[in-house]
Amino acid sequence: MTDDTPIDQELRALFEKLPAPRPKPGFYDRAIDAAVREREQGRVLHRSKLRWMLAGAGSAVAAGIVAVVVAGLLFDAERPRPDNAVASVHMTLDQPRTVSLVFAAGEPLENAQLTLTLPDGVEVDGFPGQRELRWETTLAAGRNRLPLTLVAVDGAGGDIVARLEHAARGRTFRLHVDVG
Amino acid sequence: MTTGADADEFERLVRPHLDRLYRLAWRLTGAEAEAEDLFQDIMVKACADLESLASVDEPGPWLSRLMYNRFVDGHRRRARRRLVVVDEGRLDSDGIAGFAADDDPLRESDSEQVAAILENALARLSEEHRIVVLLHDADGYKLTEIQELTGTPVGTLKSRLHRARARLRELLGAPDGT
Repeated sequence: MTDDTPIDQELRALFEKLPAPRPKPGFYDRAIDAAVREREQGRVLHRSKLRWMLAGAGSAVAAGIVAVVVAGLLFDAERPRPDNAVASVHMTLDQPRTVSLVFAAGEPLENAQLTLTLPDGVEVDGFPGQRELRWETTLAAGRNRLPLTLVAVDGAGGDIVARLEHAARGRTFRLHVDVG
Repeated sequence: MTTGADADEFERLVRPHLDRLYRLAWRLTGAEAEAEDLFQDIMVKACADLESLASVDEPGPWLSRLMYNRFVDGHRRRARRRLVVVDEGRLDSDGIAGFAADDDPLRESDSEQVAAILENALARLSEEHRIVVLLHDADGYKLTEIQELTGTPVGTLKSRLHRARARLRELLGAPDGT
């Protein structure tokens, strides 16, 4: 565009700092080889991706874990919600909002696994289009806060499901998102 | 049946365009795993239709359109349903117990951090805005090239680019948070 403002030019200069995506070494060769092989075989190879884990796991209640889902400000963590309680948060379309998930653990929990399942149209900032996120974490005894910046990208809203698992135990919590 | 000559011909036709195609896959999907899948899909499709690929005057735009159409047709929908296993450190909040105060993002001098902040802002754009601003401002596509790729009129693209930049400026100028 020829009508760039100085600010647009600054923005474009910022883009120069974006690293150009580069494939892993040998990726192109492997991709070409695979394409040729598939043509030879005349079939579509169903590629599996080991990096993607399947969702879902056990559902035993964790005796040592209580948790609270809090929207905006922290509620009293000493008053845990029952397993099926649903907190709610109101969001405006395309306006990021930080909500905090608060987990109170009775004891330190190493290698706990937290899985977030998001409704269509609600995303965790930085993970566009992803419906499920999972990561390992460590909880200290007492209150642990996880702030998450959410963005509603359509108006449907729905429930965010947070599942915390440790060893063979787990609990599920819900946060309802209204978008308007 | 593919002959060795076919394989050589395929490689000769696609090799000059691989970097640009890979970048396009990244820009469309926004994630390495999805970009690799999309890229591989296109290689398979192009190789299966080697006769068409060999008959076009400009294989680069032909391959790019193939990728874009493939993305629109279904790749995006499948990718949205995948589970992502993330490193806790990638979360905006630094994960559990991330109580650190927010800094002004634009004061960060480290280019890696600036890039991360920019990517974070880009992730907040709508898909159509993100794609046009990335292709135009980051990868140097002309609007006419993006029109050819997406079938969207230049006037609409210009408007999207303007709005995408305005939104980016807004996002980069304001501290992250509620």
